This record gives sequence, C-alpha cells and structure tokens, in this order.
Amino acid sequence: MPLVFTLAFRNLFHDRLRFIATVIGIVFSIVLVTVQMGLYLGFGQMVTTMIDHASADLWVMQKGTKCFEDPSLLDTRQRSRALSVPGTADAIPVVIGFSDWRTPNGSSTPVFIVGADLRSGGLEPWNVVEGRVEALSTPNAVAIDRTYLDRLGVAGVGGRGEIRQQSVRVAAVTNGIRSFTTTPYVFTDVDRARSYTGTPASKATYLLIRLNSGTNVEQARRELVSSLVDVEVLTPAQFGERSRSFWLFGTGAGAALFAGALLGVIVGTVIVAQTLYSSTKDHLNEFATLRAIGSSRRYIYKVIICQAMLSAVIGFGFAYLIGLAVVHTTASSALPIVITPELSVGLFVLTVAMCVVSAIAAIMKVTRIDPAMVFTR
Amino acid sequence: MQATGIAKDLGHGVAQIRALKGVDLALRGGELTLLMGPSGSGKTTLLSILGCMLTPTEGTVQVRGESIAGKAAEDLAKLRRENIGFVFQSYHLFPTLTAADNVRLALDVRGENGKAARDKSRAALARVGLTGKTANYPRALSGGEQQRVAIARAVVGDPSVILADEPTAALDSENGKAIMGILADIAKDPGRGVLVVTHDPRLVPFASRIVHIEDGMIVREEAGGAARNS
Repeated sequence: MPLVFTLAFRNLFHDRLRFIATVIGIVFSIVLVTVQMGLYLGFGQMVTTMIDHASADLWVMQKGTKCFEDPSLLDTRQRSRALSVPGTADAIPVVIGFSDWRTPNGSSTPVFIVGADLRSGGLEPWNVVEGRVEALSTPNAVAIDRTYLDRLGVAGVGGRGEIRQQSVRVAAVTNGIRSFTTTPYVFTDVDRARSYTGTPASKATYLLIRLNSGTNVEQARRELVSSLVDVEVLTPAQFGERSRSFWLFGTGAGAALFAGALLGVIVGTVIVAQTLYSSTKDHLNEFATLRAIGSSRRYIYKVIICQAMLSAVIGFGFAYLIGLAVVHTTASSALPIVITPELSVGLFVLTVAMCVVSAIAAIMKVTRIDPAMVFTR
Repeated sequence: MQATGIAKDLGHGVAQIRALKGVDLALRGGELTLLMGPSGSGKTTLLSILGCMLTPTEGTVQVRGESIAGKAAEDLAKLRRENIGFVFQSYHLFPTLTAADNVRLALDVRGENGKAARDKSRAALARVGLTGKTANYPRALSGGEQQRVAIARAVVGDPSVILADEPTAALDSENGKAIMGILADIAKDPGRGVLVVTHDPRLVPFASRIVHIEDGMIVREEAGGAARNS
C-alpha cells in the first residue's frame, strides 16, 4: 500500500469521533442532494407520463400550449385537414380537463379527465389490474387508479359516482397512474370527456397524429404546421421537454429543488473543510517534519487530498445506501424519487469534488508551514 | 557542508536582533562535530540555516559545493531530502505509523518505494539495533528506541550530512550514551559528517571536534574526546 495512502488513512482514523462527524456531514449533504435531484428526475418523469404512454408520432395542439395539463382547445375541423396531409394515418382527438367527482355519500373531489377515441386507442389507461380497457366503450364507463379508490368513494370495478351530474361507473382499475398534483386521473371516451369537462363537440385539446410506417416524421411535422391554422405540432420528445420545462422552471419547482441541492453541497463542503482543516492543524507538527525531511509540498497535498478522497468514498457509500432506501420507500408515492445510473455517477463525482474543494483550506494551511518549527517543538 | 560569514537577523523593527554574527563552519566527512553553547547563543538558528530551512541574512552556505543562496522553498526541500538527515530532540516520529514506516517515509518523499525501500528501512533499523521492533508503533517504544528510529530515518537515505538537535536531551544517561555511540559510529563513514547541537558535556568523549558558540559567534574550537583518543 502506498505510504501516502497509509498516512492519510491513519490520520483520518486516528480521531474516530471527528471522522464519524465528517462522514455524517457528507452523508447528510449527499442524501439531501440525492433527494432533491431524485425528486427532480421523478418530477420530470411524472409530468410527462401521459405523453410517454400515448401512442402518437406527433401531437397537434393550440399555439402556446405549455404542458399536457394545459386545457387550451383547438377546432376539430383541423382533424380532416391533418388527415389530408400525406403520410398521416390517423388523427385521434383527445380531450382533457378538470372536473368534480361526487361520491355516493355526497362529498366531491376534483378529478382530471383524460378522454380519447377508444376505437383508435391513442391514449388509453395502462397497467390495468381490474376490469378491461375495452369496457370503457360501454355507457358511463370510466377507469381510475386504485390509489384513489378511497378518495373517490368506490371499492373497485362496478363502483359508482357522478361527474357533472352524470352518473359514472368504474369499468377498469389501473395501478400506478398517479398525478404529481395528486388529482386523480379519470380515463374515459372522448365524447364523454367533453361532456364531463364542458368542452364543445367541435373542440378537442389535442390531436394525436399517427403516421404511416416509413414516413419522415420531421417532414410530416412541417407539412402539418403549414396545413393547419394556429396550432403547434410537436414530437412526443419535444412536448415532453416543453412540459418538463414548464413545470420545473416555469413554476419555480425546479429552482427550489436545485436550491435545496446547492444547500446540501454547501453544507457538506463546509463540514468537510472544517474537519480537514482541524485534522491538518492537529497534524501540523507531522507535516512540518515531513517538510523538514525534504518532502515536497506536492507530497503533503497528496496526503490531504487522499484524506479528502477517502472521506468522500466512505461518505458516498453510506449516502448511496440511504438514497436507495429512500427510493424504495417513495416508489409508490405521488412523487417518487428516482435515481438513475447517470445520477449515481454524477453524485459520486460531486462528492469527490466537494471533498477535494474542501481540502483547499487545509492545503493553504500547510503551504505556509515553516519546517524550522520542528526545532522548537 | 560549508558555511561562511553567516549572519542572521530575527524579528522586525525595534524587536529585531542579530542572532548570528559572521559564523564560519565546515562539516567534514568522517567527523562528529559538537556545537555547544548556552541557551540563546544561536545554536538552533545556525542549525536551521545549515539544514536549509532558514536562509541567512548575510553569508553563504554550500552543500556539496552547491550554494543555497536564492533558492526557492521547493529547491531547498530537494536539497534537504537528497543531502541532509535530521535527528530531533523530541524525535518527531509519526504516531500512526510503525517504526518501519516511519523510516520508509524518508525514502518515500524521495520517490523511493516498493520492496527496495522496505528492505532499506529494515536494514537501517537493524543498524540501530531495532531488528525486532520494526512493526512497533512509537507509543510502544521507549524514548531511547524512538530516538533510534529517528536516527534510522535520518540515515536511510544515505545523506552526506546528519544534523542532530539535542538528540539526548530527553533521554537518561544510559540511553543518551547509546544514542551518541550510534551517531559516532555513523560519523565514521568518511563520506558523511555529523553535527550534534548540545549543551551536555557528557557527549564530549564521542566528538571528533567541539565548536563553542556564544552570542551568535563561534568563540572556540577544540578537538573532542574521540579525536584525542585516536
């Protein structure tokens, strides 16, 4: 084992209490950053969940639509124009909007209606665990997620409620289709969705465009833009990005998450810097001896950086385990925390960088060390 | 090592004092030189300058013919690690390293590591009589043994000069004699000079030469006990 590493390791473990405090500082900091960044990723996935699960090559929407939940309406006459564009196989109207669900006991709760033409299957419920999607074509049928059964006052398939004074019946129950707003999604046929949201028959929120296989998507998108009036045509990736941008940055939610992460980094840096500095001060005599026997400054820096890296690796190990536990705990919540492999690598690099930056104060201290002090101590 | 006309001012303004006033001193291979003088006479200041840790206000120091004048801190550190071994009054061993690792440190800072460095460290410890204690930590060694480790660390890199600052001050008489015996033995190498700073007259029998310093000046030089006996 290189002597520099041995020295760093022993310096670090010499004062166990201080070492434990350092690791706790790093763990606290990195767990905070993990949670914030995991929320960011989880939020990013949640806000595009409908876009990701829709079966569409392109989305047609009213100009200026900010996100999937934006209820701006377009004229359904655009549908026939869209169908006339070469390469277009289908243009499926989708209607969304907020409404109220009245439970059998009389209480009401807001719901978010998602209606699509069920014959075309543009935006159907997925992860159906009870009932069948096909049953949604029967009168008054809706699909809801089982997370919201209690809130909607139903026990499962066959349960009844009212939306805008119209009786509805649960025909399918899904698992895991949850909104970050905690408002339950209610899937239904497009015509009933109009009725539940008060949308005129001549209007729809989106047209989901399916293209014939082999059609150039970008070319079709450009032709749709030029053929239709006052609309935007986006690929699912573009619409997803726009939704994410709106919710994460347009609302300030992303800034808040990043601010929390930054706070974690600052706290961690300060704690590690303080510990490394005091450890260096405690071992000043030894560093002066090293300098006296002719070690270069670089050699001493290596010892300190090695201490910082060791702290980083150990701290990150614990933080990562806690992070995984948090991910597991929040997996079925309305806003799950997500850790991707890229985030894990990023967090490790961040931890090492944070600890190395923290070593600067200690390095400045030993830079000024006077080797002649060994004669007076 | 050759010091010529060394003067050193310490402090600033009205508090400034001249600690050394034109000191000439040469350390020759094969000699153990004692530098003796009362407290405040300038012994430690002279040792710091000879050890390339302080630069003189006036005068020159040459190590193997190379002047230290105008050298940067890193260059002086290189001069130290390649030419000078140090033995300190309070040993200055690393409490978290074994005796062998403490010795190996002097090689590691020179970029010497691996098996060769470990072998050299063990040989240096064997030379000072600590063959069986290479794996001991300083806290498990007596004062005399700790000073032996420090001597092993000083000689392991085969320096041309060994500078020892009061190496027996913290030891009892018996251990002090043993340490001086080791240093005198090391000084027998014609390629190596040893300078021991002390105010203990019991060390005189081990010296080839005694240099007396008072008020920052060399006031007398005489042959030591070792020279008189040879």
